[in-house]
Amino acid sequence: MKMADGIAILRRNKPGTKAKDFSRWPDEPFEEMDSTLAVQQFIQQQIRREPSNIVQILTPPDGQDEGVWKYEHLRQFCMELNGLAVRLQGDCHPETCTQMTATEQWIFLCAAHKTPKECAAIDYTRHTLDGAACLLNSNKYFPSRVSIKDASVSKLGSVCRRVYRIFSHAYFHHRNIFDEFENETFLCRRFTLFVTKYGLMSKDNLIVPILEEEAGTGESEA
Amino acid sequence: MKVPGQSGGTMEDPSSQNHNGQLGPSAGGFCAENKQSDEGNQRIQYSIPGILHFIQHEWARFEMERSQWEVDRAELQARIAFLQGERKGQENLKNDLVRRIKMLEYVLKQERAKFHKLKYGTELQQGDMKPPVFDDPGVAEMPVDGELPYTSVSNISWRQGRQLLRQYLQEIGYTDTIIDVRSNRVRSLLGLNNNAEAEENLNNSQPVSTALNGNEPAKTPKKPQQHSSLTEAMMMDTEAAVMANFEFLAQADVDLDDDEDMSDDLDDQADDDQDDVKTARRKGKGNDGLGDDVDAEAQVVLNELILLTETEDNTDGRHQSDSNEWGSGMGFQAGTSPRRGLNFITDEEASDSTLGLGELAQLTVSNEADQFGPLSSTTKELRKTWHAKYTLRSHFDSVRALAFHPVEPVLITASEDNTLKLWNLSKTVPSKKSTSLDVEPLYTFRCHTGPVLCLAMSTTGDQCYSGGVDGKIFCWNLPNPNIDPYDSFDPSVLACTLDDHTDAIWGLSIHKQRPQLLSCSADGTVKLWSPQSKIPLLSTYSSEQDGVPSSVDFVRDEPNRMVTAFSSSHCVIYDLETAKPVVRLESSQEVLNNVVGRQINRVVAHPTLPLTITAHDDRHIRFYDNTSGKLVHSMVAHLDSVTSLAVDPNGLYLLSGSHDCSIRLWNVDNKTCVQEITAHRKKFDESILDVAFHPSRPFIASAGSDALAKVFT
Ligand SMILES: [Zn+2]
Ligand SMILES: [Zn+2]
Repeated sequence: MKMADGIAILRRNKPGTKAKDFSRWPDEPFEEMDSTLAVQQFIQQQIRREPSNIVQILTPPDGQDEGVWKYEHLRQFCMELNGLAVRLQGDCHPETCTQMTATEQWIFLCAAHKTPKECAAIDYTRHTLDGAACLLNSNKYFPSRVSIKDASVSKLGSVCRRVYRIFSHAYFHHRNIFDEFENETFLCRRFTLFVTKYGLMSKDNLIVPILEEEAGTGESEA
Repeated sequence: MKVPGQSGGTMEDPSSQNHNGQLGPSAGGFCAENKQSDEGNQRIQYSIPGILHFIQHEWARFEMERSQWEVDRAELQARIAFLQGERKGQENLKNDLVRRIKMLEYVLKQERAKFHKLKYGTELQQGDMKPPVFDDPGVAEMPVDGELPYTSVSNISWRQGRQLLRQYLQEIGYTDTIIDVRSNRVRSLLGLNNNAEAEENLNNSQPVSTALNGNEPAKTPKKPQQHSSLTEAMMMDTEAAVMANFEFLAQADVDLDDDEDMSDDLDDQADDDQDDVKTARRKGKGNDGLGDDVDAEAQVVLNELILLTETEDNTDGRHQSDSNEWGSGMGFQAGTSPRRGLNFITDEEASDSTLGLGELAQLTVSNEADQFGPLSSTTKELRKTWHAKYTLRSHFDSVRALAFHPVEPVLITASEDNTLKLWNLSKTVPSKKSTSLDVEPLYTFRCHTGPVLCLAMSTTGDQCYSGGVDGKIFCWNLPNPNIDPYDSFDPSVLACTLDDHTDAIWGLSIHKQRPQLLSCSADGTVKLWSPQSKIPLLSTYSSEQDGVPSSVDFVRDEPNRMVTAFSSSHCVIYDLETAKPVVRLESSQEVLNNVVGRQINRVVAHPTLPLTITAHDDRHIRFYDNTSGKLVHSMVAHLDSVTSLAVDPNGLYLLSGSHDCSIRLWNVDNKTCVQEITAHRKKFDESILDVAFHPSRPFIASAGSDALAKVFT
């Protein structure tokens, strides 16, 4: 109906689009996005522009509701973590990684079950991502993608802590996969900065020394 | 029924009385006459007794007639009084309803303010802004909708106003679900009435208060019985709304739960460290994040609003039933198709009842019976209206493709979030006070390293195939539809990988009789596979002159042929054995100088007839004859690009999806639109990406860029 503009750019992936052109359309200014999915569009646009520019990706547009901003970022993280899960499926076997561990300090219990279970690492990974997908799409907690209740926003922290363990397991047990994935996506870096910026996880839990590695300065980690 | 009976009664009684009364006066008159005639007899004796007699007779006759008229008059007056009384009663009813609505609105506002205060500790500062939202919902409703063709307002102020209103609505607790419900409704009304009637329709969909006080009474006397049943229905609705409101008030408890939950979570964060340790401590709340605690606030509010809107809808419904020319006069093509004795709507009431209200449509169903009286009961069996029943929410990004199981109520969705999900529609999550049921996925297929674009289900339902931007086709063994969603990983779900394509795969099609698969890719080729064989790739087809294939399908009535559509808008039928084009479908020759924007997004072969159907970027759906290659029919089917097509297993109905956010159901025989449903929201400029018919059950489904899939029954 607004096609009356005539020369309007249509941001669509038409059948036949080549992989390299997929979603490669000119950026749309945030103010002009009038969809209820504007925040997701904006985040994805920023990532597509330059995945390594984490600071810019994590900078919300003016006046953006913080709850929605955090929520949409977490959706994006969980979605991109599918990529890490795919890689782990080929390398992380229940016989070798019988438990979800990172350092030897903790064994993580899988919270996706009625009673938390000691799932193998790959199952933990899949279950946690599946559970996060259900929670973040839950009509009860997140019926809207435009405004989110405080009570629901407070659930984001626990999702962050759980999905972070996928990074840490990959880092400590499947380092080559982690590095390969990280070099492409900068996802662990972005995630670490994200949870730090919004206080969603305590520093002690961020055991992958990714930001320190990068900056070379960072706090001393045991 | 009631009315004629009663008025009949009132008619008879007075008339019989008057007959009796009539005898009195006329008898008296007769006596007086006798005197007169006696005098006359004295003067003009015996001269003209016959004349006198005649005069007497005449006078008596006139007298009779006069009293007859009086009877009629009394009768009519009684009738008038009755009708006036009825009208008055109905006006009272209306006033009462308006009062109730106002009361509800008031209570709602109060509650909103209370909630806001409780939640944020501040007064709801836009208290002044709220009344306009309710008092003049016309203003509130219109800006909420992104698609309204209100061009009179300048774009900027329009957008600002919309932003502002959206903000208000959010702040007072209108979730975008509600906004969407409302805007969908308005949009679908507009979508159907693109012509001048849009205005009128909008006016009529104003809140009951104005509609009732305005033009309504003028119309009511025409069909009083309809109206009375309707008002009853409206009464019921209002009652229901009041009840919902009470539930809303009773929400305090639920909220307490919620608070508990919240503190639970805080707790959870506090003992962050312990929570990770292997200990039984987490047992009680291990599920906190992923659990199913119900927070029904939003739903209650939504329901309440739906109920209010429903009342509005009823008003609409009445207008339509009052003036049937509306049904056929609407820009909606459902009006004229003859009834075919099938279980779909084809008559003009259909357009009334289906109006494309989306999820709201089903809400008025129970009242329809009242509206149409005995008529509807006779036609009821003959029609089927599709209603949104299940919402499949679990994907993180656009859902690109759908495939139903051939027998079970099971479907698979494929998304740009790189995953496929398996859903069992018979396993719904109990959700109270919601119009559509929620389903949770049973299995997530992970292997693609990019968006998944297309799907095909094997004819047995044991396997399915998916193609993606990563250029790979994966063949999956379908897990048992009763699997535990959190079962352990079984690598054998992935049966095989077909990776001969070198670019994104956009289309898949499965042969109905042979275990063969067709795929088309942005690498410019179409490939034929026998996925079970040792060397699965059978042949590769490409066409320099036509360019990149965008969609492919097996020709169903000629088992050795396929039809391939290209983004150049060409469409060609190939022989699979010789790899030679057999028929070129005429579109390329049709308007050579205007091929831009005519890209074919989807091609489907009719299951029984030699007919090929194509969905175009230029909003058209075109039908071609496979033997002659001639264009059989071409129609503007949507308001925006048509993206997807599906033909029902019997070949009688065609389902189309479009970036205009709607799906439409068409009668293949006469090419008329049978139903329109607004189904999905936009992400960038995309909306609906796929549609599907269940091969053996009454399900249809749509997939959208809003990361949702919906199933209609
Ligand atoms: Zn592992
Ligand atoms: Zn588990």
